[in-house]
Amino acid sequence: MYADYAYLIVGLPVLAFLLCLFVGSRLPRGGGFLTVLATFAGLVLSLGIFSEMYPDKIIHQSMPWFANFNVGILIDPLALVMLLMVTFVVTLIHTYANGYMNGDPGSSRYFAEAALFTAAMLGLIYADNLLQLFIFWELVGLCSYLLIGFWYRKPSAAAAAKKAFLTTRVGDVLFMAGIILLYNNLASLNIALKPGEYLLQFPVIYAHLTQIPPAQLTLIALGLLGGAVGKSGQFPLHVWLPDAMEGPTTVSAMIHAATMVTAGVYLVARMFPLFYAAPYGLTAVAAVGAFTALFAATMGLTAFDIKRVLAFSTVSQLGFMMAGLGTGAAVGTMAVGVAMFHLIGHSFFKALLFLCSGSVIHAVNTNDMREMGGVGKYMKWTMYTMLIGSLSLAGFPLFTGFFSKDEIIVIAYEYGVAINFLPYIFLVLAAVLTAIYTFRMWFTVFTGKERSDYAKHESPSIMIIPLVILAIFAFGFGIAAQGGFYSYLDSNFGHYDVNFNELAVIGGHAAEETKLAGEPAAEPLASEAGEGAKAESKAEPAEPWYIQILPIIVALGGILTASLFYWDKVKKFDPSLVTGDKDPLRKLLLKGYYQHEIMTAWFAETIVYGSALICNVIDIKLVDGWLNWLSALVMGFAQHVRKVQSGVVQNYITALVLGVVVLVVVITMAKEVGLI
Amino acid sequence: MISNAISLMIAIPLLGAAVSFFAGSKAKFVALIASLIPLALSLQMYMEFDKTSKMMQFVESYNWVPSIGVKYTVGVDGIGFPLVLLSTIVSILVIIYSWGETKKPNQYFALLLLNEVGVLGVFTSLDFFLFYIYWEIVLIPMFFLIGSWGGPRRDYAAIKFFIYTHVASLVMLLAIFALYFTYQMPDGSRTFDMLTLLKATADKNIFPTSLLNIIFAGLLLGFLVKMPAFPFHTWLPDAHVEAPTAGSVVLAALLLKMGGYGLFRIILPILPHVDKAFVTIIAIIAVLSIIYGAFLALAQKDIKKLVAYSSVSHMGFVTLGAVAFTTMSIQGAMFQQFSHGIITCVLFMSAGTIQHVVGTRVIADLGGLADRMPKFAVIMMAGFMASLGLPGMSGFVAEFMVLTGSFATLPTYTMIVVFLSIVTTAAYHLWAMQKAMFGPILKKYMNVHDPHAYELFSMSMIIVLTLIFGLQPGLITGMMGTAATQVMQPVMTLSQMGVI
Repeated sequence: MYADYAYLIVGLPVLAFLLCLFVGSRLPRGGGFLTVLATFAGLVLSLGIFSEMYPDKIIHQSMPWFANFNVGILIDPLALVMLLMVTFVVTLIHTYANGYMNGDPGSSRYFAEAALFTAAMLGLIYADNLLQLFIFWELVGLCSYLLIGFWYRKPSAAAAAKKAFLTTRVGDVLFMAGIILLYNNLASLNIALKPGEYLLQFPVIYAHLTQIPPAQLTLIALGLLGGAVGKSGQFPLHVWLPDAMEGPTTVSAMIHAATMVTAGVYLVARMFPLFYAAPYGLTAVAAVGAFTALFAATMGLTAFDIKRVLAFSTVSQLGFMMAGLGTGAAVGTMAVGVAMFHLIGHSFFKALLFLCSGSVIHAVNTNDMREMGGVGKYMKWTMYTMLIGSLSLAGFPLFTGFFSKDEIIVIAYEYGVAINFLPYIFLVLAAVLTAIYTFRMWFTVFTGKERSDYAKHESPSIMIIPLVILAIFAFGFGIAAQGGFYSYLDSNFGHYDVNFNELAVIGGHAAEETKLAGEPAAEPLASEAGEGAKAESKAEPAEPWYIQILPIIVALGGILTASLFYWDKVKKFDPSLVTGDKDPLRKLLLKGYYQHEIMTAWFAETIVYGSALICNVIDIKLVDGWLNWLSALVMGFAQHVRKVQSGVVQNYITALVLGVVVLVVVITMAKEVGLI
Repeated sequence: MISNAISLMIAIPLLGAAVSFFAGSKAKFVALIASLIPLALSLQMYMEFDKTSKMMQFVESYNWVPSIGVKYTVGVDGIGFPLVLLSTIVSILVIIYSWGETKKPNQYFALLLLNEVGVLGVFTSLDFFLFYIYWEIVLIPMFFLIGSWGGPRRDYAAIKFFIYTHVASLVMLLAIFALYFTYQMPDGSRTFDMLTLLKATADKNIFPTSLLNIIFAGLLLGFLVKMPAFPFHTWLPDAHVEAPTAGSVVLAALLLKMGGYGLFRIILPILPHVDKAFVTIIAIIAVLSIIYGAFLALAQKDIKKLVAYSSVSHMGFVTLGAVAFTTMSIQGAMFQQFSHGIITCVLFMSAGTIQHVVGTRVIADLGGLADRMPKFAVIMMAGFMASLGLPGMSGFVAEFMVLTGSFATLPTYTMIVVFLSIVTTAAYHLWAMQKAMFGPILKKYMNVHDPHAYELFSMSMIIVLTLIFGLQPGLITGMMGTAATQVMQPVMTLSQMGVI
């Protein structure tokens, strides 16, 4: 019954968008309550659908669109957990925004754009085909552009919005290339489609992966990965995400932490069978993810803007998720469950951290941590909820982040045993840094002396309540949901006509799969659920005890280190030991590896704009130039020829006779040669 | 069913042009009515249009100059009809946008109507003689619009526009004559009938490849200059920069489409019978137009010139889709014609409004206008997003179909386009948008305000259309599907169709 109304999950936020856009300015608080209600209705519907679907049903509705394409809704376990998470977190953030944006003259515009974003994000999640996913993907990007540039009068906000759009657009180009390639490959197979089936539908794609040449699969996978890298802020397209913090903090929490940036990870998870079948597909995912996780974590150490710290942290954590998916090369489909678990958990604690930082910024009126300090005295609720978020992010035992990140590190170890240890090493180092930068932030903001004169009060309860709810999930989601979550998601690809053993052979990781799953490669895998569970149960005892407890040591060690540097009560060292502008190496970190200089100043402004200017010169001088040259020639010729028009009749007759003679000669010759 | 719908549709604006010329300041009302009726007729035709039919529809055929085989034959199919619809829509919106024109309004609106006559004629003529007459008629109103209402260098621009496209048209005319004089009907007479002549080009005995190559090149030149494609595009920016806003809109939205229409109606049926090297040449021209046009747009300092070069880039997709010769790419290219036709209106109207309200179009001199022109800012933003290919709007559908379809036959060219044009296109749009509209409002612009309601109305109507056709492209592509398959098969003549 709920499934019949699945379209409303997108439809209601669209309605809220239209209402806020056209009449929002006449409603209290810019019509923010409409956006909250629409999203909350989506949550209720998603829960209803969950109750109908669990544990072994999927929903697939579809109707034709244009040419060979369709629009449709596909809700399987993978989509459903995303739907639940997004509607839940976004409802809370919209609620919080009702307090945060109160009094902003553009609040109706804010809630209109936020509602459109919600619709686009939810549409992306339950799209049943790749084109539709891409369309919502781009709409999400548009909303991100609009919301980053929400305070458009600020030049830095307008510039950040543009940068975000263009950088992710680079990824989207690759994504689009991947879709074009995939479509043409599928089209060339001449598949006999049943009524209601279309080429780019996920079930159709899954079912025909084995027939696509492996080299093509790799190209397609790399294209899709490019899209994911752009949207999920992975290296080297991560540069837009820290700048995106120019938007209101609620935007950062919603789009640039909890939901939109996870779309890239979701895409890879959604297309996991393709990545699995593509030789080197998952290797590339693992490499990008692991490198980004560490790289971004180092940048998180030096930022002074509280939101930028969180942004780098997001980039880093998304790297963890990517790396988790990448390890699927060794552990199979269970990687999807592990990565998605971190995705969901991360969205809780990262949304929480952002909203807490927003609460602090709301009071202190600056993003700069150097002007905060001692805030904890006045904002108890904010301080403690943020502590929960920080512990979760740092991976403190029993918190959500501990379970989810720990599990990624564990499967990275298995990947190490089977294939390569580099991702594991990178991830462990990144986990250490995560704990350090998280508590650097927490100590700097909440403890110590007040470093500036700020408003000393707690935020209103409409902002605090969402914090508390998120804090409960940031703490408890891990313990409560871990087991059920994995087995539920492991069943995901069992709903489709896809044979992972065959795909493993194409993808070149047959040996690992067999070894870990303990099953012969030839056996058909009707239910991946069993396979995933077995892989897990067989693999885990293989790890030595020190691997098992390493994440705990990492988290505690990191927090301890941070306290020695940044907690005034136990401070032993000065931060300038690590960063500073004294020598090139430390400056490198402080300058964020000179990425702005390389990407924006050098590449965009010099190379791209430079070639545009060169084209312009060519166009004026050459392409248009020859015309002017021609017209000058004609004019010059005319100047000479007009002298012939002398008015003397004898001259004209002479010319006439000459002309006739020439004509006769030409015609005679032409007849001789046979032209006429 | 209305009989003689097409003739009526062409006759009414012609009559309207004559009346409004003598109507003085009331000309705009005449123009509104004279453009409303064709719009209503075309909507009625849309209802009656049979999307699955392979035949020409609404055909009218009368002998005109029987001694030389000239007939008055008009009719539409999935190639022509969407452009007829586009013409009637754009014409009325341009007239509404120009509601406040005070300089010689009688002539101004008469010329706009005359222009509608010309383009409608081009998109419906099925006789080469008639086709060429309309093709040339179109030049006249545009020449005067630029020459009389244009900017400071209007004389240069008008003459350049006229001579450049006229020379190309003459080359095309020679090619048409070559077709005419080579083919003889079974009874020995000659004909200008378009479909009969095109059908005959498939016959190697009548048109040996060497001869057909030359004819083809002549026709092609005529159309490529009109589109315009690299390297024949340089008349366009000059014409646009000097033309009044309505002139620019009509030029980009309708006149350029004549070139694209020529590709589908005339070039593609001949393409399979000429030297294969032509495919490569046209593909290279298409790719260069797209990429080079985008880079040029990025380098422009005048927002109107930026939009003008974006037309070169976007029309390159039409050429690419056409030459790639798959059902989807042709369909996409046809849709790109339609889509670019509506989107470019809002771009040129935006540029015009900025010029009108602020007094300059130099992007570097603008800033923060969104602050004072909030409604305009939203519409302009939507238009720019549509133009850069945002999904949900018509431009994306068209470009996606072109690229996906073209990949099957021209993979390398397609990928070059994907990689070099998409980000560049986004870059120049966003850069111009950011510089002109965002940031702090400049002091000197503290007193600017949203434009007149009629300007906002025209522009927002286009945004609505862009969204409708972006979300439901089948409304237009449905007609094109059959046409695209038709183009790829030997042309059916009217007598084969049994319509005459």
